[in-house]
Amino acid sequence: MSATANPAAVEDVQPAIESRRGLLRRELLRNPQAIIGLTILGIFVLIALLSPVLLSQDPKTKVGSVFEAPSSAHVLGTDGGGADMLALLVGGAPVSLIVGFAAAAVSALIGGAVGLLSGFFGGKTDVALMRLTDYVIVIPDVPLMIVVAALFGRSLTNIILIIGAIYWTTTARLIRAQVKSVRERVYVKRARALGAGNTRLIGRHILPQVAPLLIANTVLLVAYAIFAETFITFLGLGDPSLVSWGRLIENAFTDDAILNNAWWAIVTPGLCVTIVILGCTMTGQAMEDALNPRLRVGHLSVKRFRLRPLQGRLDSE
Amino acid sequence: MSLLQVEDLHVWFQLAGGRELHAVQGVSFALEKGERFGLVGESGCGKTTTILAVMGLLPPNASVAGRVLLDGEDLLAKGESTVSPHRWVDIAMVFQGAMNAFNPVQRIGDQIAEPMELYGIAEAQNARRRVAELLERVGIPADRASRYPHEFSGGMRQRAAIAMALACNPKVLLADEPTTALDVMVQAQILELLVALANDFGLALVLVTHDLPIVAQVCGRAAVMYAGEIIEAGPMDALYHDPRHPYTRLLFAATPDLYGSGGVISIPGAPPRLDRAIVGCPFRPRCDSAFGPCDSIRPQLVRVGQDQAAACHLNTVVREATV
Amino acid sequence: MTGFDYVGKRVLFAALTVFVAITLNFVLFRTLSGDALSALRCRQCTPQFKAYQRHELGLDKSKWVQYRMYLNDLAHGNLGKSLRSEQSVTTELWPSIKNTMPMVALGTFFSIVLGIIVGVITAWRRGTFVDRAGLYSGLGFYSMPPQWLGLLMVLFVAGALGLPTSGIKDPTLGILGDASTWDVLVDRLRHMVLPAMLETLGEDYVLTARAKGLSNWAIVWRHGLRNALLPIVTLVALSLGYVIAGTITIEYVFSYPGVGLAVVEAIDQRDYPILQGAFLLLTLSVIVFNLVADLLYFRLDPRVQT
Repeated sequence: MSATANPAAVEDVQPAIESRRGLLRRELLRNPQAIIGLTILGIFVLIALLSPVLLSQDPKTKVGSVFEAPSSAHVLGTDGGGADMLALLVGGAPVSLIVGFAAAAVSALIGGAVGLLSGFFGGKTDVALMRLTDYVIVIPDVPLMIVVAALFGRSLTNIILIIGAIYWTTTARLIRAQVKSVRERVYVKRARALGAGNTRLIGRHILPQVAPLLIANTVLLVAYAIFAETFITFLGLGDPSLVSWGRLIENAFTDDAILNNAWWAIVTPGLCVTIVILGCTMTGQAMEDALNPRLRVGHLSVKRFRLRPLQGRLDSE
Repeated sequence: MSLLQVEDLHVWFQLAGGRELHAVQGVSFALEKGERFGLVGESGCGKTTTILAVMGLLPPNASVAGRVLLDGEDLLAKGESTVSPHRWVDIAMVFQGAMNAFNPVQRIGDQIAEPMELYGIAEAQNARRRVAELLERVGIPADRASRYPHEFSGGMRQRAAIAMALACNPKVLLADEPTTALDVMVQAQILELLVALANDFGLALVLVTHDLPIVAQVCGRAAVMYAGEIIEAGPMDALYHDPRHPYTRLLFAATPDLYGSGGVISIPGAPPRLDRAIVGCPFRPRCDSAFGPCDSIRPQLVRVGQDQAAACHLNTVVREATV
Repeated sequence: MTGFDYVGKRVLFAALTVFVAITLNFVLFRTLSGDALSALRCRQCTPQFKAYQRHELGLDKSKWVQYRMYLNDLAHGNLGKSLRSEQSVTTELWPSIKNTMPMVALGTFFSIVLGIIVGVITAWRRGTFVDRAGLYSGLGFYSMPPQWLGLLMVLFVAGALGLPTSGIKDPTLGILGDASTWDVLVDRLRHMVLPAMLETLGEDYVLTARAKGLSNWAIVWRHGLRNALLPIVTLVALSLGYVIAGTITIEYVFSYPGVGLAVVEAIDQRDYPILQGAFLLLTLSVIVFNLVADLLYFRLDPRVQT
């Protein structure tokens, strides 16, 4: 009964899956935050991948005296064991990044699955899964990691698994909400009426809509994972055979870098961690904003609308 | 002199990337005391922006030109400082989607009383009494004042929004889509209420909507907006029986007739983008009667009847032809 | 009354979670690593002594019996005995708790208040320089591991102020530790508070309030903040894990004798009962805190029913 009379306004048309990914790509490339974030990540991933090539020997080998200040020989100085800081940082990159990405993947997998099942099936499954989520949420993360490391040994896999097993809860809730809303959309209902089975519904209709959000969330999870790894290794619970940035900070601390005023041993690894986390946060945030745009207009502002002089009639004769 | 006179109102929005959206392009209309005036058009044509501009409620990325005369005084003369003293006491608004116009954590009664206490019209006891009166007037039991918004149904919230708008006895009420998303029965009640208020209290009403039947029901005169400007204005009868702009004609024809036997007509295409200058008539791409001048010359709003005006070349050509 | 229904439900749920946490604790420490406990204290001990130890700790009984013993102990407030000092875990941990609590409580309180203030100001001055500067600096601090920040503070600030950097083991440097936790927490909260405020300030009822002629201050306070408090409460509750993590590492860096340091030392000395007790206490506090947040939410939001 409305006078809108515009056939394109009909909501029933199945949104093209391409358009949503295309939208994401377009929005991202236009967003400076995303560009910076992606660049940062790109640089570090590259360094990590190339590290075997860049390093001629084990980065922990002693090449100079203990806590040498930065010089032309050692651009970033040496650590408490006389090893070159730059080499250590490059060597630590793949470890820190692997933990980050792997743990995030585990979390995303668990969280995504829980959210998907919970949101799609609803009812008892939903209640049960959400109850489980509630229990996992209250477990304080670092203490659990400490306990697991103390009890089950300090291996890389353990760390990845335990980080992954704790951080999936927010993802689960996010995906669940999204799945619920997608499930209610007309085209899904139509597909179901046409006899589509559950797997087909999930795979063809729901998953593609939910995937971009999951990816955006995973990027943020990487930030959390690297953060968590830093905590763990700092407390001395990291894998003793591997060098990661967190480990470097811990080494600096236990080697009394502060007493020796060796700022380069402390600042550099922490800076690497911070920058990577920054990159992840910026990218992930930009992606989430592109998919779920938050209201840009606040109704309250110190600034006011502006006045312009009177226009006179529009004249185009 | 009319109660409310809008003269040559323009609104621009600054967009990300430096472009500008010319949302309202030279809108003028006048409103008398007790008159019920309709502002009609499809979504995005600028009608909401127009009335927001009248109340000075535009976001910081907006610029405004034109005059809004309330009893002769220009509200937009100095921007915020000239318009804010009149808000709610002289001009009040019922927003689109009144469901969300209420603060969810505050009681309805308190929210209606808020402007009263702000402008010193009534305090505490008196305010409560006034709130009860207002609620009764719009058809809500007075004891509901102590409830929260989520405890009201959509229709009741709409009425409460109207009650809130009347809190300070304004002269003009701007109602933006007051009945969208309400079922037909409730719609009818709200419209009756609005008519009664206008009649009983001399309240001037501007009804903004895309829904033609309700405009026909409530308003005596209306203006049709398209792409940010008024393309036709006049008495409801004239608009319905003797439209002088193809858009108006198609709009009224597009409304399905429950008892009619004709097919459903729709207007193909979409409105033009307003972030670029428009050459020729903005309706040209969708018009079924376009000819020569429509491509290059923008039609002006000209008088076509006793009380009617339209912006279409068809009117000038026809006139010439009859010479 | 639906009110009591809700409260009852939440308390019940919290109690259930407590039970799950206790069981998890037991499973972690006893079932999965039983022999770790016996392999701990003395390596040179004779097998008889080890057998005695096992009997002492009840490790020679079946898991179910152990579980019941465990629950029984807990009901009496007995968290076991420290392996290192032979004192009960509760007596060992109590002073640490007394040290940590005020620091955390104060820190959280101040960071919430500061976070809200900063969040409100930046939301208000949206789009201006203040907003942008705050946003970027906030993002920066947010990405920093707190222990690193703590070390930096010692390195640069303490040195500059002439405080003894060699006294890094000095608990009075705990102030600096607080500062770094607070700082990161403030920016984290601001990162959460800001979107909450922004979202709230974009709601229709804010526009209505402005239309009604309310002053900016009245709008922010009565309509904006009051509504934004709801997501903020949720977010603060969720960030508790982070607070705990930060506290542990900060205490470690500054050798502040609190619960965090106790946990770290317990690992070093393989004092598992302490570890178990501390973990349980931490988990319980998170549960209680979440319950408080739930109830607070209920108090603040009239829409919450069953």
